[in-house]
Amino acid sequence: MSDTPKRPARTVKLNVLNEPKDSYTGGKSSLCPGCGHDQISSVIINAAWENGIEPHRVAKMSGIGCSSKTPAYYLGQSHGFNTVHGRMPSVTTGAYTINKDLLYIGVSGDGDSASIGIGQLIHAIRRNMDMVYIIENNGVYGLTKGQYSATADIGSKKKKGVPNKTQPIDLCALAINLGCTFVARSFSGSKKQLGSLIKAAMSHKGFALIDVISPCVTFNNNDESMRSYGYVKENEITLHMTDYIPHFNPIEEIDVPEGHYRDITLHDGSTIRLETISAEHNPEDAVAALTALHTAEANKKHVTGLLYFDNSKPSLAEDLGLVDIPLVDVPNNVLRPSKETLDKINAALHN
Amino acid sequence: METIANDFTINIATANGTGSQSANLILIQSLFEMGVPVSGKNMFPSNISGLPTWYIVRLSDLGYQAPGNRTHIQVLLNPATWHEDLESLEPGSVVIWNENAKMEMTRDDVISYPIPMSSLARKINPKIAKLVTNIIYVGVLAEVLGIDQTELEAAVAKQFKGKASAIELNITALGLGRDYFKENHTKNDPYVVEKRTIEKPQFFIEGNEAVALGCLFGGVQLLAWYPITPSSSLAEGIINYIPQLRTDDDGNTTCAVVQAEDELAAAGMVLGAGWAGGRGMTATSGPGISLMQEFIGLGYFAEIPSVFWNVNRVGPSTGLPTRTQQSDITMLYEGSHGDTQHIVIIPGTVEECFEFGWRAFDYAERFQTPIFGLSDLDLGMNRWACDGFEYPDQEMDRGKVVRDRDVFEAFEEFGRYLDVDGDGIPYRTLPGSGMDPILYRGTGHDTKGTYSEKPDDYYELMQRLKRKIDGARDLLPAPILREETECEIGIIYLGSMENTIQEIDDILEATGIKVSQCRIRALPMHSEVENFISRHEMTIVLEINRDGQLYGILRKELPNNLITKLRSVAYSDGIPPRAGIYAQRILETLEGEGQ
Repeated sequence: MSDTPKRPARTVKLNVLNEPKDSYTGGKSSLCPGCGHDQISSVIINAAWENGIEPHRVAKMSGIGCSSKTPAYYLGQSHGFNTVHGRMPSVTTGAYTINKDLLYIGVSGDGDSASIGIGQLIHAIRRNMDMVYIIENNGVYGLTKGQYSATADIGSKKKKGVPNKTQPIDLCALAINLGCTFVARSFSGSKKQLGSLIKAAMSHKGFALIDVISPCVTFNNNDESMRSYGYVKENEITLHMTDYIPHFNPIEEIDVPEGHYRDITLHDGSTIRLETISAEHNPEDAVAALTALHTAEANKKHVTGLLYFDNSKPSLAEDLGLVDIPLVDVPNNVLRPSKETLDKINAALHN
Repeated sequence: METIANDFTINIATANGTGSQSANLILIQSLFEMGVPVSGKNMFPSNISGLPTWYIVRLSDLGYQAPGNRTHIQVLLNPATWHEDLESLEPGSVVIWNENAKMEMTRDDVISYPIPMSSLARKINPKIAKLVTNIIYVGVLAEVLGIDQTELEAAVAKQFKGKASAIELNITALGLGRDYFKENHTKNDPYVVEKRTIEKPQFFIEGNEAVALGCLFGGVQLLAWYPITPSSSLAEGIINYIPQLRTDDDGNTTCAVVQAEDELAAAGMVLGAGWAGGRGMTATSGPGISLMQEFIGLGYFAEIPSVFWNVNRVGPSTGLPTRTQQSDITMLYEGSHGDTQHIVIIPGTVEECFEFGWRAFDYAERFQTPIFGLSDLDLGMNRWACDGFEYPDQEMDRGKVVRDRDVFEAFEEFGRYLDVDGDGIPYRTLPGSGMDPILYRGTGHDTKGTYSEKPDDYYELMQRLKRKIDGARDLLPAPILREETECEIGIIYLGSMENTIQEIDDILEATGIKVSQCRIRALPMHSEVENFISRHEMTIVLEINRDGQLYGILRKELPNNLITKLRSVAYSDGIPPRAGIYAQRILETLEGEGQ
C-alpha cells in the first residue's frame, strides 16, 4: 500500500481472465535486498499473469531454505505448502494424486534438490509427475549463513574460508540422464528468457525442471564465485532464446525475431518457439544437450535455454489409471463400496 | 489308552522356501472346517530360502489361540534344527520324522513314527519331491489324528482353486502318507481330533488383509508405501482388492497407489494427499516409522489428516524382522521432535482390524492430524478366525472442511488455525477452492497460518493442539472391559495379547486369583481406563516388550494417587505370547506385593 495520496488515475492492464497483475502478487519478501530469488518471484508472477492462469488453481510447493520461503512472496491467492527440507517432491506427489487438475509450481534450492532431497527429485522425475520444478541455484546454504552446497563449483571461494574442492552436481545433466521431459537452465537476471521458460513449463504435461542460477548477494557474490552476479553475466552463453506464445493470445502481439527459430507444440495446444542464437541445438536430442552442458562446463561457462524436451511420455496421472475427475471431487458414496459388496466379500471368504 | 482330543500343539519344523506353508494351511483349514478351534503361527526367518521355519498349530476346545507352552507332536524335516527340536521335547511327545533326512532319532523316550517322506514324494514326481514331501506329512498327521478325508480334500481344493492337476497331485500325496502310516505303524499316542458342531460360520483371515479391506471401505484415495516386513501384505491386500472394490467399468480407479522410493517419501505423499483434501495412508513397520518422524511432526503441527499403519515387528534397529512385539507404542504416541501427542488406534481382533481400517480416516479428517493404526506381526500375518466383517455403521466423516463459498462467507472471522468451536479443531479450506488461500508451513504460525515467532502465538497454538487431541479421548474406541465383582486385581493390555489373555486368566484363576481385564484400544486413553484403575486395588499393565511402554504412558498421564496402583509386567522374546510365561510373571509380581 502506498501512502501517497491522490495518484492520477491510470489504466490497469488485464490479462485474458480480466485479472490485473495484482491478483498474482504475494507478501513482502524478507530475503536480502537484491537477492536473485526475488527476481525469480517476479518472473513467476508475470508468467502466471501472462499465461492467464486462474490464481486459485495453482498449488505453490516448496521445501526449506531461502528459496523455499519465496512462495509467500508470489501468488497470494493460491494455496501452498512450505514442507520439510528436500521433501517437497513427495508432498507434491501425494497432493497431485488427489487433485491432478491443479498447476503445481515447486520452488526449491540447491541444498534442497542437490543434497538432502536429491532422491525425491530423482523419483519425481522418474514418475514424470506434472509440475514445474524451479531450482533457485546459488551454490550456497544461505539461511545457515554460507556453507557450500553440492552445486558449488570446484574453486569457488567464499568471502571467508577455503575454496571448494568437491566436484559439483549438475542438476540439468542429471535430469536429462534420468529422462526428465523438460530441462532448462536460466539466470535470475535474464527475466525475458526465464519468463518464457516458466510459461512453457506451465503448459508442459510432465515434469519440467528449470535450474535458475540465482546468485546469493550475501554469501556468494565475490568474484571468485562462479555463481556471483558478475561472473555469470560475463560467462553466460545463451543457447536458445525462448518465446512462449499462449494459444489464447493473438500471435501478432508477440515480438518474434526474424531468423532461426523452431516451434514445438505443447500438450495444451500452445506452442513454444525457440530461437537459436549461438548454435543449432535440437532440444529433442539428449546427447546434444549433454554435450552442450559438458562443453560449457569445460569452458567454465553456463549454457542457458531449453536444453531438452520430450512430450512423448505419459505423465504420472495417466500411469496411475485414475478416474477422470480429480479424486478430491469423487463423492463419498463412490469412495465407500456398498453394503452388498461387503456381503459378497464376506460370502466369498466363507467359501 | 485314554485319548486327548482337541487339546494339543503340533510343531512342524521345515526350511524356508520349501513350500511347507501351503501344506500347513491345508492342515489348519481342514481342522477349522471340522469345527476344531485351531490357530496357526508361522515362525519364519528373515530369508527367502533355506533358513529354519516352524509352524505351530494349536488345537484347543477352550479356544486358546496362543502357541501353547509345549509341543505335543513334533514333525521333523529340517536337519539344521533336528537336534535342537528333539532335545526341547518333553518325554512322551510324538515325533513324526523324515527317515530320508539322513539324521538319527536320538531320543528313546518319545513316541517315534519314522516315515520315508522324501522317497514317497519321489514316487509321485521326482522333480518336485521337496514340495510334495510337505503334503506327505499332512497325510500322516491326518491318519494319526483322524482328520476327515473329505475335509482334507475340500481344504486342498480351496488352496489350489481350480488347478485340477495340483489338486490331484496333492490328494494322491495325502493318500500316500496316510497309507504308509496305516501299513507300517500302529498308533500308540493319545492325540486325536474330534469333530465339533460349528455354532456360527467363521472364516480364516490375516489381520493385514482385514485392515486392507477396512481401508478400502474407508474410502482410501492414496496408498503410498515402501515394502517392509511385516506390513507388505497389508499394502498388497489393498492393491489386490482395488480392481474389485474401487475400479469403474472403464478400468479407472478412485484409489491411487504409489510405491514410494523410501518411507520418508511415502509419509510425504500421505501428507500431500491430506493437504489436498484426500484420504491418504501408508503401511509400514517400526523402521519405517523411524524414518517418517520428520513428517509426523509436520502432520501434527500443520494439522494434516493422514493415516499410518504400523505392523509392529521386533526392534530396535533391524531387530528380528519376522518376529512379533508391541514395542512402538511410545514412538507412535509421542512421535517426532518437540512436544507432540498422536492418536493411536489398536485393534486386537481381525474384526477390529477391518473396523479400525475405515475409522482411521474418519478420525484423521475429524481431528486433522496423523492417525496411527498399531497392529503387529502376530495379528497381521497369522490367520485368525473371523465372524465376518460388519458394514460401517455411520457415514464417512469428512471433518471440518469448508467447501462452499456461502458457508465461508458466513464466518465472522476465518483463520485456518482459529478455534471457532472451542474444541481445538479449526476449519480448513482446500487447495483449488479459492477460499482462504494460505501457505501451510511447519514453522510457527498464528491463527491465520502466517509465520509467527510471537510468544503468545506459539503458546496458544501448542495449548490448542493439546486440547484438540485430549478432546479425542472419549470419541475413540472405548476399552473392552471384563470385570470381576471383587475388583482386586485388574489387568490392562492391548492388541494381539487379546488372543492369549483368556488362557492367562484361566491359569491365574486355577491358582485362586481372579482378575478383571481392560483392553485399551486407543491412545490417548479413554476416561474409562482411569475409572477401571480407580475401581481396582492394583492394576497390572501387561505388554509384549521389555520396558513397559504403555505402563510408562499411564504413569505420565494418571493422577498421582492412581500411579501407585500400577505394576508393569512386560516381556518379549519375539515369539507370540505364550500364556504360561506371562501368567508366571504376573504371579511373581503379585507375590512381590504379598498377594
